[in-house]
Amino acid sequence: MPGRGWALGAAAALVAVCTAACGISGGSASVAGKKTLTIGVKQDQPGLGLKQSNGTFQGFDVDVATYIAHKLGAKHVNFTAITSAQRETWLQQGKVDMVVATYSITPARKQKVTFGGPYYVAHQDTLTRAGDSAIHNVHDLKGKTLCNAKGSNSFNRVATEKSIAAIGVPGDSYSDCVKKLEAGQVEAVSTDDLILAGFAAETNGQLKMVNQPFSDEKYGVGIKLGDIEGCEEINKAITDMYQDGTAAKLLHKWFDASGLAVNTNVPQFEGCG
Amino acid sequence: MAPPTRAEEQPLAVQQARFRRLLGWLRTVPGKVRALTLLALLAVVGLFATAAVFVSNAHDGLHVIGHGAGPQVVATGDLYYALSDMDAQVAGILLIGKDTTLGVGQQQALATYEKRRAEADTAVMKATDLAQGDPAAERTVQAVLDGLGQYERLVGEALALDEAHPHPAGPPSGKVISLYEDATSIMKLRLLPQAYNLTLDNGTVVRRTYEDKRSAVLSGRWWVLGLGIVVLAILIGLQIFLAAGFRRLLNPLLVVATVGTLVLIITCVVIFNGEAEHLRKAKQDGFDSILALSRARAISNSLNADETRYLLDPKLSDTYEQTYLDKAQSIVYVDTGTNLGAYYKGLSADLTAYSSNASNVKFLGFFGAEAKHVTLTNQGQAVASVLSAWGKFQQDDQQLRSMAASNQQQQAISLRMGQSGSSQAFNDYDQALVSLIKIHQDAFNNAIKDGDGELSGWSWGLPVAAIVLAGLVLAGVRPRLSEFR
Repeated sequence: MPGRGWALGAAAALVAVCTAACGISGGSASVAGKKTLTIGVKQDQPGLGLKQSNGTFQGFDVDVATYIAHKLGAKHVNFTAITSAQRETWLQQGKVDMVVATYSITPARKQKVTFGGPYYVAHQDTLTRAGDSAIHNVHDLKGKTLCNAKGSNSFNRVATEKSIAAIGVPGDSYSDCVKKLEAGQVEAVSTDDLILAGFAAETNGQLKMVNQPFSDEKYGVGIKLGDIEGCEEINKAITDMYQDGTAAKLLHKWFDASGLAVNTNVPQFEGCG
Repeated sequence: MAPPTRAEEQPLAVQQARFRRLLGWLRTVPGKVRALTLLALLAVVGLFATAAVFVSNAHDGLHVIGHGAGPQVVATGDLYYALSDMDAQVAGILLIGKDTTLGVGQQQALATYEKRRAEADTAVMKATDLAQGDPAAERTVQAVLDGLGQYERLVGEALALDEAHPHPAGPPSGKVISLYEDATSIMKLRLLPQAYNLTLDNGTVVRRTYEDKRSAVLSGRWWVLGLGIVVLAILIGLQIFLAAGFRRLLNPLLVVATVGTLVLIITCVVIFNGEAEHLRKAKQDGFDSILALSRARAISNSLNADETRYLLDPKLSDTYEQTYLDKAQSIVYVDTGTNLGAYYKGLSADLTAYSSNASNVKFLGFFGAEAKHVTLTNQGQAVASVLSAWGKFQQDDQQLRSMAASNQQQQAISLRMGQSGSSQAFNDYDQALVSLIKIHQDAFNNAIKDGDGELSGWSWGLPVAAIVLAGLVLAGVRPRLSEFR
């Protein structure tokens, strides 16, 4: 019968159109919905991201990442070691879902990745031997030997940006710089205060922070470019972290031993674009 | 179990008899006509109900972005500006000391401080409104109120102590500076970040609503198209059946109904397209830009005050120079701007390149994003004005710092305080920025107005159209059915 045939044909067309319409939504997965998260952290920064002999990672960044992942609803978290040079490419390639690795937010980096947070605003500061009373702020570094860690911008901050005539002594890494400082081969090491505090806390009071910070380093949570929902959820998690006292607890846990004056107020977020 | 008795067989038999009667009726011509007509009417109702759902989605989207949360979020953005200007006024009052003729003078500065306090109160009330049901936001608002109280107490002490120890324009006594440092620290480390984060958080509601409603309206096109095709198919099927059965080729009323449905489908799709575009304009060219530029304006205000603090608190002058640079970089980011001197140079080079070719945007930051996304009329011109004014203001800043460094304190303070509490260069820049924000505000208002306007007829138009089409179908079929009476 013609009536029934038409009705069936029309129903079939409707189903086809609906499938097409419903299939239009989709898009890439946000970190906010993932059940398993792979998070990149540093492996060689005590107090922030340090790989243990049993393969696990420990540090402030690791604890913050764990808290945020938990708040995002992830059931499993895998930590993986990441270097400064790999941070953008691994996020772009999807090798890691998040990066929490003393990852400073800069406008240039914001073109390649999206940043949640910052979760802490560190400042560049100076580390000296406990008995050294000659160095009270960064200007006192004039004429003094300052360690220049390979691949780091911190020495330039002092020598070039602030035009302070410190004498550069090359070091392989911050671990190496700190050893040189303990051994008396340099008089100061200058970089982000959290990084310095992590090293200082390991030395049982032999080294001290000058506590005269300059410049801001905004440590953000790096995620894939364009994941605005993930960024918003991360910001919510960081707000909770500061409001429920976890942030203060973690900051005191990892950095009190070094004498660093930590700021336990929630930092100003960057915004999710 | 006993076999079913005749009495129990009766209900089943009755049902089977009814079903056979229905099938039999459907096999008759009037039965088929009625069945197809019923199908057509159901399809028409379905089409209009679906269209109504998506119209209501568009309406909700426009309401939230244009009349509800959208404007409220922009208003809470004023909180950051009001708070930071409160602190700027205090720094200015302390800097001019007993030299009350500098800038706008002490009385005016205090009046502005009170005005900003009142604006902060209004913004906090709007923020409280938006925070309903969001415990984290409510706690943040509470924290802002607590912090504001502490800030005011410290500022009160500092101002009173400064009044008791009059000094010429320049840094006040150590005790006053210390009180001010405590107060401004509350502002910088607690109040301002909390206010900024509140606006960011509130903005997520608008973003989510926008994404949901816009994608709903866009998918609504397909739904209306699909269901419309179904209605057309049924109507055409009905007409073919009638033409074949009754040997009358055209049924005028049904033809009108078919054509009417087609027109309606096309109009619906066009309207939905239009609404999605209005939503996009309101959100991207309007709301997003207004928020971003308002933040830039508030940060600029705070950066202007950093000049005051630089002159007010020589002990921390390094820090204030650094905070000035950080804020300047967030507004116009210059790649090579690792220190202030390099920033001035790099900025000058980038702005020269931009002024000769508006698509050569080498800088980032708030204005970099704005310069790369010029879509409205007059926007390009306004952006160029803002950037040129920013460049002049930075030159002004360079001059101020070199005066301060070469022991010309009084000149530096006069330059900073100007005639109106700010230097002329800063006022020009601020005005240019306000004009640019207004262009976006106008685009926002127009998009919302146009969107609302196009939708306004449809809340009654859809049911009326549905009734008319249904009426046409029934009227077209009636004469054929009457042949069977």
